[in-house]
Amino acid sequence: MSKVYFSTWRGESINNIGKAHDAWEESSHKLPLQYNEHAASKAFIGWDGVALFDVDVDVVRLATEYAAQYQVYSEACGRCAPGRWGGRILYDLLDKIARGEGSHSDMEHLREVSATMMATSKCEIGKTVPKPILDLMHHFESEFATCIDQQKASKHYHSDVNYIAKITAPCMDACPAHVDIPAYIEGVRDLRFDDSLMATRQTMPLAHTCGRVCPHPCENECRRANLDSPISIMELKRLGADYETDHGFGFFHPHKQKKSIGKKVAVVGAGPAGLTTAYYLALDGVHCDVYEELPVLGGEVAVGVPEYRMPIDKYNKDIEAVKDLGVNFILNTRVNDEMMRRFEQEYDGVMIASGARISKKVYCDNERPEITGYWGAIDFLDRINLYVKYGYTLTEAQKKEYAIDVDYVDLTGKTVVCVGGGFTSMDVVRCSIRAGASRVVMIYRRDEKTIIGNTTYEEYHEAVEEGVEFIFHSAVAGIIDEENVLKKLVIDRFELVPDPSGGRPQLQKVEGASFEMEADYLIPAVSQSADLKFVPKEWALEMTSWGTLKTNGRDFMTSRKGIFASGDCEYGPMTIVNAVGQAKRGASVMTRYLQSGEITLSDEEIMEDHLRKMRVYNKKEKVTGWMPGVPRAVSEKLDVETRKDNSQEVNLGFTQEEAIAEAERCMRCYYIAMVAH
Amino acid sequence: MSIHFTIDGRSVSAKRGESILQVARREGIYIPTMCYLPKTTPNASCRMCVVEVEGVSGFVLSCNTPPVEGAAIRTDSAALFKERQNIMKLYNVNHPLQCGVCDKSGECDLQNKTLEFAVAEQSFATKEQKRKNKKWGVLSYDPYLCIMCEKCTAVCNQVVGSEALYIKPGGYKSEIDNHYSRCIQCGECISVCPVGAMASSDFEYSANVWELSKIPSACAHCSSACNLNYEVKQIGIESGRGEQKIYRVTNEADHDALCGAGRFGYDFENSVTCKDETAFAKVIKAFKESKSIRFSSMITNEEAYVLQQLKERHGYRLINPEARAYQKFIRAFSSVSGASLYSGDLKRVAQSDYAVVMGCAISSDNPMVRFALARAVNNHKAYVGLFHPIEEEGLRNIVSQHLKHEVGSEEALMALLCETFISAADKVTYGALFDTLDVGYICGESSVGEEEIERLRRQRLRKKAPVLVLGADLYAHPRAENIAKMAGLLERFGGFEVVIVPGDTNTMGVALICDLDNEALSPVVGYNAPGDCILSALGGRDLDMPALNQQEGTFTTVNKEVVPLNAALPYHGYELSDIANALGVVSKHVIDFTCKLPQHKGYRAITFDDLPNAYLNHGEQVRGYALESLHVTHNDDAPEAIADIEEYNGTVLYRCNPISQFNLFTDKAHQIVDRAVIMGSSQFADAAKIKSGEEVAFEIEGQRYTRIFKVSSKLKGTVAYHPDFDSFEKSAAYRYQKVTFERV
Repeated sequence: MSKVYFSTWRGESINNIGKAHDAWEESSHKLPLQYNEHAASKAFIGWDGVALFDVDVDVVRLATEYAAQYQVYSEACGRCAPGRWGGRILYDLLDKIARGEGSHSDMEHLREVSATMMATSKCEIGKTVPKPILDLMHHFESEFATCIDQQKASKHYHSDVNYIAKITAPCMDACPAHVDIPAYIEGVRDLRFDDSLMATRQTMPLAHTCGRVCPHPCENECRRANLDSPISIMELKRLGADYETDHGFGFFHPHKQKKSIGKKVAVVGAGPAGLTTAYYLALDGVHCDVYEELPVLGGEVAVGVPEYRMPIDKYNKDIEAVKDLGVNFILNTRVNDEMMRRFEQEYDGVMIASGARISKKVYCDNERPEITGYWGAIDFLDRINLYVKYGYTLTEAQKKEYAIDVDYVDLTGKTVVCVGGGFTSMDVVRCSIRAGASRVVMIYRRDEKTIIGNTTYEEYHEAVEEGVEFIFHSAVAGIIDEENVLKKLVIDRFELVPDPSGGRPQLQKVEGASFEMEADYLIPAVSQSADLKFVPKEWALEMTSWGTLKTNGRDFMTSRKGIFASGDCEYGPMTIVNAVGQAKRGASVMTRYLQSGEITLSDEEIMEDHLRKMRVYNKKEKVTGWMPGVPRAVSEKLDVETRKDNSQEVNLGFTQEEAIAEAERCMRCYYIAMVAH
Repeated sequence: MSIHFTIDGRSVSAKRGESILQVARREGIYIPTMCYLPKTTPNASCRMCVVEVEGVSGFVLSCNTPPVEGAAIRTDSAALFKERQNIMKLYNVNHPLQCGVCDKSGECDLQNKTLEFAVAEQSFATKEQKRKNKKWGVLSYDPYLCIMCEKCTAVCNQVVGSEALYIKPGGYKSEIDNHYSRCIQCGECISVCPVGAMASSDFEYSANVWELSKIPSACAHCSSACNLNYEVKQIGIESGRGEQKIYRVTNEADHDALCGAGRFGYDFENSVTCKDETAFAKVIKAFKESKSIRFSSMITNEEAYVLQQLKERHGYRLINPEARAYQKFIRAFSSVSGASLYSGDLKRVAQSDYAVVMGCAISSDNPMVRFALARAVNNHKAYVGLFHPIEEEGLRNIVSQHLKHEVGSEEALMALLCETFISAADKVTYGALFDTLDVGYICGESSVGEEEIERLRRQRLRKKAPVLVLGADLYAHPRAENIAKMAGLLERFGGFEVVIVPGDTNTMGVALICDLDNEALSPVVGYNAPGDCILSALGGRDLDMPALNQQEGTFTTVNKEVVPLNAALPYHGYELSDIANALGVVSKHVIDFTCKLPQHKGYRAITFDDLPNAYLNHGEQVRGYALESLHVTHNDDAPEAIADIEEYNGTVLYRCNPISQFNLFTDKAHQIVDRAVIMGSSQFADAAKIKSGEEVAFEIEGQRYTRIFKVSSKLKGTVAYHPDFDSFEKSAAYRYQKVTFERV
C-alpha cells in the first residue's frame, strides 16, 4: 500500500487532486515512494501508468522526460519504424510544449503518433511509452494547455529534478542475474550469435552453464505465458556460447577490459559466485586471486552437477572466459582463518564465495555417518564427478569407506535410496542409475507436483524414464545396520490432511503404514549448509539464523567492511543464477568501494531493486498484437536407452530452425520505468 | 504436416516453418512490406506487414508469425490501411526530397509505398541529425536516405557471411556502418537496398533506371553462372547503329545472390565495329591446316558442341587440359558412385547441417560455395570442416574446424575420410584401399591429427544432411583419379551428397559435350587459349570473337543445370558459328544447337527459346533445366592403395585469385581493381626471407613471373597465394608448386 496523490498504475484510478493529504486514497501497489535512504520520490512513471507522490510535480516535464528516456533507450535500438521516428517525434513535440513553444495541433499529433507506436512498435517499450504520457495529457490537460496558451515553459522546466530511468522486462526482472534476455534472443533471431553472447555476458559470464542447467525462474515470469506458453529462454542462451566454442573464436566479452586500477581482491572459492566476482572485477581492471580448495575449478557445478547435464568441456569454456581476463587461480588451497587475516591485510577487498557443501542429515533413528552405506550427497557427487569428468580415482581408504572394490563409483547390483526432492537429489539418483545400481529409490515427503516445482518437469520426467522409483509422501524413519553396515531402512508413509482453517494442507504420518526396505546406500540430499569455520572468530561476522553470512542482500558486504559474501554461503543452497546475480552485484559494489571507500549502489541497481519489489510481470495482463497458439520449441533429447548407462549430454539443444522459430516467439517486452526525485 | 487456415477467406495451408507472409506470397496474396527480404530471416522493423487475425486483438506481424491451425487472416481493412499509412508518414519524416537526383528513383520502395498509401503531406517533422556520407569502394552510403530496414546488414551477415555491415544503433540517429576490412565488395547490400542509401559508387548519377533495359542472362565468371540482368542503354547517336552500353548488373535480389565479379565485372565485351574479312580468311586457312584446337572453358555449351562437331568432321584434337582433368575426375568418380553426375548442388550445401570441404579456395574459386556455406551455418547451424593448407581469418565465422594440412596430402586425407565414414561392412569389397591404410602415417605426414579427425567424426553424429564439397585442387592433383574414386565411395557409402566444383565457367559443359584429348598435335588453333593462330574475345589476336556478354547460348553449372545466356550487347564481327559454317558444320545461329546437346550425357532436346528464365512468387528459380544424372555401371574400378605423400618443402605457391578476379575478362572490367600480387602470411614471409612490398621473380612450368609480394595479416600457413587471372595461358597442373624466388 502506498500513499499517492494520483495514480493510473496497473489500471487503478486514484485521483486525490484537491483532497487533503490525510484523505488521500491509497494505491494497492508497492510503489517506490522512497527512492533511497537520502531521497523521497516525487513520481513514478512506467509502462503501465503513472503515479504522483507529490502535489507539486510538473507533469508536462515528467511526460517530456519520460519521452526523453525513450530516446536514450532507443540510442541502443532504433530498430523499427514506429519506434525510431515515433519516439523522436514524441519527444520533440513534448519538449516544444514544455518549453512554451507548442500549439494545440501538437497535442493532436502526439495522440496520432502515440496510436501508431502503440499499435505496431516492435518492442513493448515502443508500445507502452505513450501510455502514461497519454494518461498525463488526459488527466492534466489544463497544465499542457497553459503552456500552449500562454506560450510559457512548464512550472519546473528549468528546475533541478532528478529523473532516474531503468529499462527492464518481466524476464529480466525475474532473473536473479537480470540478464538482458530479449537482447540475447534478438541476437539469435538476427543470427548474430556473437551479439547474443555479448548480451548474455553483460551480467552472466556462465553462458554455457546457464544455457543448460539453469532452473530458469525467468520462464515463470515470461509474458508470452499470458498468451500461450513461455519462451524457452534458457536454451536459447546456449546458441551464442556454442557458436563461440564451435568456431574457436576467442572470447566475446561484453566490453573491452578496462586498464588496471591498481587494486586487488581475494576471492574464496572458484564456483559460480567466485568466477562471476572475478570476471566482473577483472573486466573493470581489478586484479583477482581466486583460492579453491578442490583440485579443479568450477565449484559445485564442476563436482556436483553431473556430466550428462553439464558437460565439463563446456563449463571449462565458461571458466576459460574468466581466465582470459587474467584472473589468477590458486588450486588445492583450503583457506583458513590465518589466511583470511592475511587477505584482509594484503588485498583491497575479499569476496567469500565458498558455497554450501555440507550435506545435512535426514534426522532419522540410528543416523550415524560412520555406518558404511550412509553417504552424504555432496561427497557422493564429488566422487562420481571427479572420476567421470577428470579421471580422479578412489583412494584405498575411500574404497573401504564406501565398500566399493574398483577404483571408481560402481554400484552394480546395489540398491540406492536417496532422500531429497531438489536438484541435488535428482543428480544423485540419475548418477546412481549411470553407475549401474540395480534399484534406485527417491524418498520424498511431498507429491509429484511439488517435486516438479522444486526442480523442472524435464528433470523429473527424465529420471522416471531412466528407471528411478519415486516414493512420494514418505520419509526415512530409521537405519538398520549390521555391524555398522547399512542393511535396511524403515520408511514412514504420510498423507496430506487439509487444514480446516484453510491453510496449507499438513503432512500427517499414516500409522501402521511404515515398512522396511533393503538398501545398500542411503544418500541424504535434503539440503546443504555452509562451512564457514575458516572465517576468523574475532571478526564476529553477523550470521543468518540458518548459518550463512549476513548481508543486506543489496550490496553483499558482510558486517565487516571490505569483506563481501555471495552465493550459497550468503543465501544458503540455491541456484547457479542466484549466485551469479549476487556476485555480479557484489563485484559492482566492490569496484566502487575499491576506488572510493564507499559502499554505494548505482541508480541502475537501486531501480533494479525497486522494480523487483514491484514485480514487472503481471500475470493478469492481456496480451494483444500477437498470434496465440504458436507452439514452444522443444529440443531433442538423447533417448533413454542411449543415455542411461553413460554420461553423454542428454539435451541435444535446439537445431537452428528450432532456435530461430523460438526466438521469433519472443515479444521483446522491454519497459521503461522512471522515478523523479 | 501442414497447417490449414484462411487468408482473406481463401483456404490455404502452410508447411512447418513458413510464416503467414510466406504463404501469402506463395499464394499470390499481396501484403505490403518495406523491410522484408525473403532470402534472410525477417528483420521485423517496418511493421507494414501487419494483418488482422479473427479473435485476436491488435495487429499481428505476418513476416515472423507462423499461422496456427484454423486462423482467419485479413490482409487489408480500413484500419490496416490507416496504420500502414501512418507508418509511411513516419518513413517520410525528413526523408530528403531529392528523388530527381536519386539513383533509386523509379524503382524505389519508399516512392512506391508513399504513392500506394497516398501520403501527400508531411504533418510531422523532427530536428534532423548531422550525418556523414560514406564511400566504401564499390558502395556508397547516404545515411540521410537510409530507412534502417536492415536488409543490407542481414545479407552481409546471413548470405555473404562477411559480417562487415552492421547497425550503429542510435535511435533516430541509427545508421549503417562497415567493418571495411571484412567487406568483400560483393555489392549484395546495394542490390537489396529498397531506397537510394546503399548505392553503387560507379553507377551513381549515370542513368535514370527507367532508361535502362534489362537483359536477363547468366554470369560468365564462374561455374555458378548466377542469374543476372545486364542493364543497357543506348549511348550517343553518332554511330547511327544504336550502340549500347552496359550500365550496371542487377539480379533478383529478393531471392538470389550475386558476387562482386558478377555484379561489377560486366564490361568485358569485345568492341568490334565490323567483320574483318581478311582476318577471317586467314583463320579459316589456319583451321584447315591445323590438327588441334586448344580452347578455354569460357565458352557456351553450343560452342563446345560446335567444336565437337568440328572434331568429328575434321578429326581435330580438342585440347582443354583443365576441362580434361575435370572430365577424368568425374568419370572416375562415377565409376564408383554409379551415377554420371554427383548428387549434390549448392542449394543442398546451403541446406546442409554438416559440410566437409577439400581442395577448394571457397571464397574465390566459386564465391557461391562460400555463400552456400554461410547460409548453411546461419540457417542450419552447419558444422563446416575445411581441409586446406592455408587458413583465412575472414572465414572463421563460416568454418567450424580448419583442418590445416600439408600440401600434397589430399589423397591420403580423402582415404582417411573413407576410413572414418564408411562402415566396416562396406569396406570389405575395397580391400586394396583399406587393407594397407596406415592412419598413423597419414596423420603424421599430413599434419592432421587423429583427434582432429575424431572431432570431425563426432560432429557428424545425428546430422541429417551432410555434404562433401570438392574443388579444383583435387582434379589437378597427380593422384586425381584415385581421389575421385574415393569421393565416389563417400557418396555411395559414406552418406555424403557430393559436389565437385568445376574450375571454370563452363568446365562442366565442356567435359560433358567434348571428347577431349590429352596431347595436342601442331599446328594448333587457339580459342581464348594459346595456339599458332588465336581467336580471342579479348581482342588483339588473329581474329576477334564475341565475349560472353555478347553471345547467346547456355552454360552447364555447378548445380548441374543448363542455363540460358542472352547477349547484352551486339557483336558486329565473326563468331564461331561463322567459322563452323565455313568448315561444314552448318547453323544459322549457334543456339540452333541447344536442342542437340548430347542426351546420352543428360542434356534435353529443348530449344533455346523454350528455356524458362524466371522466378516464382515464393522465390523458386525456374531457369533452364536440370541435367539428368544417368546410371553408370560399376566396372569394379575400385580405388587403389594410396601413394606415398610427396613432401612440399621450401617456398610453395598456391594458384588462387583474389575474390572477384577470375581471368583477363574480370581484369578488363573497370570496377574490379585487384592487382596480381603474391599474398602470404608473415610466417610465409619469414620462411621465404622476403618482405612485404618486395618484388620477386620465379618460374612455374617454364613460365616466368615477376610479382610484388604482400603480407596479409588475415592468412596463416606457409603457403602463399599466387594469382593467375592476368595470364592468357592458364595452367591445369596441381595448384601447389614449389618455386625459388629471385629478388628483382
